[in-house]
Amino acid sequence: MAGKIQSLSEEERAHLLPLLRNAQWVEVGTRDAIYKEFIFKDFNQAFGFMSRVALQAEKMDHHPEWFNVYNKVQITLSTHDCGGLSQRDITMATFIDQASLM
Amino acid sequence: MEERIEERAEAKPRSLTALQEQLIWALLGSGLSRDVLVQAIGELQRDRSSTGGERGERGDGESSEEGEMDFPPPIFRELEKLSPEETAKLRAEVDRLLQEDPWHVAKIVKSYMQQHNLPQREVVESTGLNQSHLSQHLNKGTPMKNQKRASLYTWYVKKQCEISQQFTNAKHGLASAEEQGEETRKGRRNRFKWGPASLQILFHAYERQKNPSKEEREGLVEDCNRAECHQRGVSSSQLAGLGSNLVTEVRVYNWFANRRKEEAFRHKLALDTPFTNQSASSSHHNIPPSPEHVLWGLTSCFPGVKYSQQILCDAVSSARGSVGERVGRLVVSPAQLEPSHTLLETHNPKLVSSGGPLPPVSTLTSLHSLSASPASSQGLIMASLPSVMSLGESSLLIGLASSQAKSVPVINNVGGGFTTLQPISFQQQLHGSSQQPISHQLQSHMGASPFMATMAQLPCHMYNKSDSPQYHTVPSSLLSQAMVITEGSSLGTLTSLTAVRQILTADPEELTDSPLQEDSLHMQPQTPVPVSSESLELYPVSQTTESHQSHILSPSPTDIGSYIPTQMVSTAQ
Repeated sequence: MAGKIQSLSEEERAHLLPLLRNAQWVEVGTRDAIYKEFIFKDFNQAFGFMSRVALQAEKMDHHPEWFNVYNKVQITLSTHDCGGLSQRDITMATFIDQASLM
Repeated sequence: MEERIEERAEAKPRSLTALQEQLIWALLGSGLSRDVLVQAIGELQRDRSSTGGERGERGDGESSEEGEMDFPPPIFRELEKLSPEETAKLRAEVDRLLQEDPWHVAKIVKSYMQQHNLPQREVVESTGLNQSHLSQHLNKGTPMKNQKRASLYTWYVKKQCEISQQFTNAKHGLASAEEQGEETRKGRRNRFKWGPASLQILFHAYERQKNPSKEEREGLVEDCNRAECHQRGVSSSQLAGLGSNLVTEVRVYNWFANRRKEEAFRHKLALDTPFTNQSASSSHHNIPPSPEHVLWGLTSCFPGVKYSQQILCDAVSSARGSVGERVGRLVVSPAQLEPSHTLLETHNPKLVSSGGPLPPVSTLTSLHSLSASPASSQGLIMASLPSVMSLGESSLLIGLASSQAKSVPVINNVGGGFTTLQPISFQQQLHGSSQQPISHQLQSHMGASPFMATMAQLPCHMYNKSDSPQYHTVPSSLLSQAMVITEGSSLGTLTSLTAVRQILTADPEELTDSPLQEDSLHMQPQTPVPVSSESLELYPVSQTTESHQSHILSPSPTDIGSYIPTQMVSTAQ
């Protein structure tokens, strides 16, 4: 990983978080992270989605915390390096939303 | 194959589970193109099987090849991509070809390769055949065992598929086709090669204009690609099929640049070589004044630089086998041979003659390898000079054989001879003491070269025009070879020597034709010797006479600039 990633500034949060909230991302109370749950038609769809996200995560070198049971996928995004949200999380969230629609 | 995958996708996977399908879409969506994916599959499978030792996995068509050929991997990769049906089809086709007359099929394969400008290297790499054997089989019908022919035909059939795929893929974009065609070849692209049709177009354009603008080049790109497609029997603009032989604007640009360089080089050689300036009318413009002087007669004799160069080239090539007879000939254009032409002639059949423009380096180096032949004295002076031939019997013949016109086997380097002298290290370094007048030059460097001996006399001859008697006194053996080498550009100095005369015919017989020409001794331009000495050095060898025909050109090491190459005076015969 390159140098220390910075967590989002207040302005950025003020700007970006509303958009994410609109997309059903919620802020986790106990930590500086965002969470969303996805439900798919069946396991195949869910896992296909996860595969796409996984490939992107590798590309970005930014991995989500997630849980999967059959057609449900629960994802929490946070940046370990800065202990909170960073721009990467925002990017990843956007991508995840797109991937879930495919 | 492309179609198949799509079919599968649309028809709901019969062979693929939903998850597999999902995973595939995920992969495809991750930036992998279908082609990359498929190739990767092939590679991975191959790697796995080879490490796992599962030889059986090899594709059908290739298995024979590989099993027999020490498992050449390259074709293997491709086989993996084929479905079993396709493999079977290929096999059937290969078997059919094997039944036919091998020579007939060889001709077919060869013409296909020519049509698509495919290098033999590619075949060799993917079949494991020996290149020499392959070449002989295709060109001359040298027999080839069935197993090997099978691998050849397998390659051929697959290549046809590939090429036709490339052409169809052109519709889908060049990139995939190119990747297919090229990356499968061990990741190395075939070297681009100009096809005959394109070359024709380019040469015509070159005649019209040597320096085309970008637009013109682009036009040529279109024309050439169209022509190449036609040659392959494909509709124009299915460019992908051309693969590595696709003509691009950069290639056209480079082609023109190279032709211009070639021409400049030829021109430069012409300028540098005094010999080549023979005909006053024609060559004058080619030669700078001083060389002209030196050449005195030569200028009139030589047709023009180009011409002579041509002759040289031709002569050289034809002279290879018949150098002997040409020995006595002067290089200069036959027609013009007049006395006092000095040409360097290489006696050595091995002389390199470059048919066209002289590649600056290659010919020189090759000449360098010419070894002095047995003939006397070698002083291979100019050995390294392209034009200088090995001493062989005749050492250098410079100038034209006086009376004979002909045969100027001249080695094409004559023109370049002088220039080339420079870089070459002569065996015998004759020290050119520039200051000394030629006559005094009895260079002992030469060692015992016989010709030196003769040379000694030459100076006298030189100066006194009338030396016919003297001339003849020169050892009968052959011409005394006076080597006059002008150092630096002082061709002018040569003139003073008038030694420039030429001719050295190594063979006595040849000399008989035109016994020394006395005239030739007289330098036509009796130009005051501007120089003196510096440049000309005659190497009067102390030994005399006779004959050695060795021509030694020892150029002054550095200045040879315009050398006046050795002048061999043929004394006698």
